[in-house]
Amino acid sequence: MKTKIFILLGFLAVLAPLGLISESSAWGEWENEYYKELIGYIPKGIENASSLEAPVPDYTLNGFNDIVSYYFSAILGFILLYGIFYMLTKLMHKKQENNGTL
Amino acid sequence: MHIPDGYISPTTVIATYAVAIPLWAYGFKKLKEKLNEETLPLIGALSAMSFIIMMFNIPIPGGTSGHAVGAALIAILFGPWVSFISVSLVLLIQSVFFGDGGISALAINSLGMAFAGAFSASFTFNALKDKKFSPFIAGWISAVGASFVIALALGIQPIFWTQNNQALYFPFDLQTTMVALVGSHMLFFGVVEGLFTQFAYSYLKEKDKIKDLSYEN
Repeated sequence: MKTKIFILLGFLAVLAPLGLISESSAWGEWENEYYKELIGYIPKGIENASSLEAPVPDYTLNGFNDIVSYYFSAILGFILLYGIFYMLTKLMHKKQENNGTL
Repeated sequence: MHIPDGYISPTTVIATYAVAIPLWAYGFKKLKEKLNEETLPLIGALSAMSFIIMMFNIPIPGGTSGHAVGAALIAILFGPWVSFISVSLVLLIQSVFFGDGGISALAINSLGMAFAGAFSASFTFNALKDKKFSPFIAGWISAVGASFVIALALGIQPIFWTQNNQALYFPFDLQTTMVALVGSHMLFFGVVEGLFTQFAYSYLKEKDKIKDLSYEN
């Protein structure tokens, strides 16, 4: 199953830029002006929302085209997620060695 | 849809975190039981797959778009708790690194896409047993179930939090969110999640049937 999962993952990763076809986002997810046009005001909570600055906002890498950014994001996502599970597995093993139990 | 910061009231944020934190704690315990050198590459890769699937924004009529999640596939292969934690971690990474979904909304996004998505798929799949289209139906239910939770959280905002006739947070009512979100998932994204779950499951399950059973429960 392992090889197959990675083949499937690779296949989907190669196709990832197809996700860029859609221009429209859901309910102004990335654009507050959307509400102004639709209901005449921007809800206060939405307007004043404080968010942390994301390093790669909306999967877009500054200065690179969309497709490069998207591939970069896919690879970064893979590294981060696989890394988390890798660390979890390692941490558990250390614990096991120390205690002799789970 | 990933709910961004500012779309739900602070009360909703606190309430959803209060529900999610114990579930995450228990889920991590369950994940630990299943995570070892052998399952690590599988769970790690499936989580990365969930991340990539959510990058496929699919446009639909009406000027909006959506995506599948991949929670159903992980739930069927490794159980709902592993799926819940894996997809929650995907949402965490998306929120922190890509600004996709608010950090204050991480709990509600996880309760919808990860928790409802994983458990509805798992129950459906187990109820249907090994029918030919069980993965499709589980995937469909998973996406619709997830959208229901998100629609509920968004739709109650204008009921409780309005000032001078202006919504403070998400402005559209329950009826609108139910029709738009749950409706679009029944018609489109649920079908995509179902097809993905069906194809991926058939592809992965083929041949090494006996070996796979050892990962279940």
